Amino acid sequence: MSSLFEFFTDLAKAGYLPAMFEHAFMVRGMMAALIVGPVLGGMGTVVVTRKLAFFTQTVGNASLTGVAIGLLFGEPIEGTYAGLYGFCLIIALLMTYVKNRARVSNDTVIGVVLAQVLGIGILMMVLVTKQFNVHQIEAILFGSLITLNNNDLILLIIISMIAMVVGAIIFNRTMLSSFNPIMAKTRGVRPVLIEYVFIAVLTVVIVASLKLVGALLVLVLMVVPAAGAQNIAKNLVQFFWLTIAFSTVSTVIGLLASGVWPIPTGASIVLVASIVFYSTLTLKPLLGKGEIQQGQS
Amino acid sequence: MSDKLIDSPALLSVKDCSVKLGGSQILAGVTWEVKAGTLHALIGPNGAGKTTMIRCIMGGMPHQGEIRIRFQGDGRIGYVPQLLEFDHTLPITVGDFFSIMLRNKPIFLGKGRKVRKRAVEALKLTESDHLIDRLIGGLSGGELRRVLLSQALIPLPELLVLDEAASNVDEFGARIFEDLLLRLKEEHNLTILMVSHDLSMIRRTADWVTGINRTVTFDGPAQTFCNLKKIDELFIETALVVLNRQEGKTP
Repeated sequence: MSSLFEFFTDLAKAGYLPAMFEHAFMVRGMMAALIVGPVLGGMGTVVVTRKLAFFTQTVGNASLTGVAIGLLFGEPIEGTYAGLYGFCLIIALLMTYVKNRARVSNDTVIGVVLAQVLGIGILMMVLVTKQFNVHQIEAILFGSLITLNNNDLILLIIISMIAMVVGAIIFNRTMLSSFNPIMAKTRGVRPVLIEYVFIAVLTVVIVASLKLVGALLVLVLMVVPAAGAQNIAKNLVQFFWLTIAFSTVSTVIGLLASGVWPIPTGASIVLVASIVFYSTLTLKPLLGKGEIQQGQS
Repeated sequence: MSDKLIDSPALLSVKDCSVKLGGSQILAGVTWEVKAGTLHALIGPNGAGKTTMIRCIMGGMPHQGEIRIRFQGDGRIGYVPQLLEFDHTLPITVGDFFSIMLRNKPIFLGKGRKVRKRAVEALKLTESDHLIDRLIGGLSGGELRRVLLSQALIPLPELLVLDEAASNVDEFGARIFEDLLLRLKEEHNLTILMVSHDLSMIRRTADWVTGINRTVTFDGPAQTFCNLKKIDELFIETALVVLNRQEGKTP
């Protein structure tokens, strides 16, 4: 992996790549951006269809508590993997279980947990580190390119590959069960199992993307490209590929912008995603995708 | 009473079915059956347990008692839901909907010509093949019902379950829907179980009626049900009484 980074940094030093890639962390960041963009985009189409936007935010917030738990059990600050992935997965699957069992709406369950995990997370971070280290919390909430190490990148590549394979296998099934679970059952789909599998994959993808995008901004990258694609897509296939394109453009240009100007990567990615979204609004009438026409019985 | 009602074996038998949810008894010892080749209406007031009963039949609700379906062939149930729970602004066409339903290969890798052909064939059964490229969110209530009925017909099921599938459709749309059901029943010898609030529709289409309100309140031929003088006492359903009055029949 290190020789790969050296190859790109050497290219930058020789003038074949922009000077910002002389730094290994920028090369790592670009690799992460090229992976996170398409994967979050692809999953974003399902997140929007299944109305899981706030669920995504809750998993992001839970990462703060996850990091604190990792530190509590002696994991190093640069790699609290067990605490982070373990806690976020438990919270995500627990929310799904409660939503399916309790007579409470999905929004209410998410709202309760969202506030809890953020509050408990900050409290635990202070208790565990014996100080209020604002930079540590900032890195989790807004992403931190400099702290993205080789292990993070390898984990991101492995998780993204699993997500792409599993996502492709269950894509149609998860879409169908979001329309109507009983109808999906008549087609041999097991809606509850599909839901748990998708939630688990979504959670690990979100957690793996946090160092690039940040806990508070992962929701935006999951939803805004899909919302932009929704503005101009005329069918589901266009919706999927346009979302991936918008998401990738956002992560790559956002990263480049943060290399040129002194702005946080997560924030610049979100800014680019927002510009793309507003551009689609202006394109909408030009592409003839106006209001949905009401048919006749 | 037609011969079909007397001679047909029961395709679906529900025996002593009970469901309790969060301390409330939704269904208590419900026993009834659906004869093969008939159009069977399941009726009752709001909150009577109709949808719970359907969920039990479809295998989506834990229950006590016995539900048996005796299929003659490969045994498929076609299900037409009351509604689709989705954001109506999503760019999903009727063709996309059939693709995600009929194929495991992810739709973003292509919709497949064979699937489109099957979808068109299914839509033709309900005279709605012209809707294949329309966005689902842009369909009228009647059009959406026809599309949902089409999906339930491929492959042709032995039992077709409709969960208030003709609700929120105007009179014209409802008549087209009824005609379709009757034609499908006759042409394909389908057994149809229809949850409905619409007394007029039941009068025009049903062979047998089962009324439930936690327990079975009525079970008999549609003709007998329609001749009842006091339907409102059986079902405590204002809508039914109002409908009766509109049609000039004193309840």
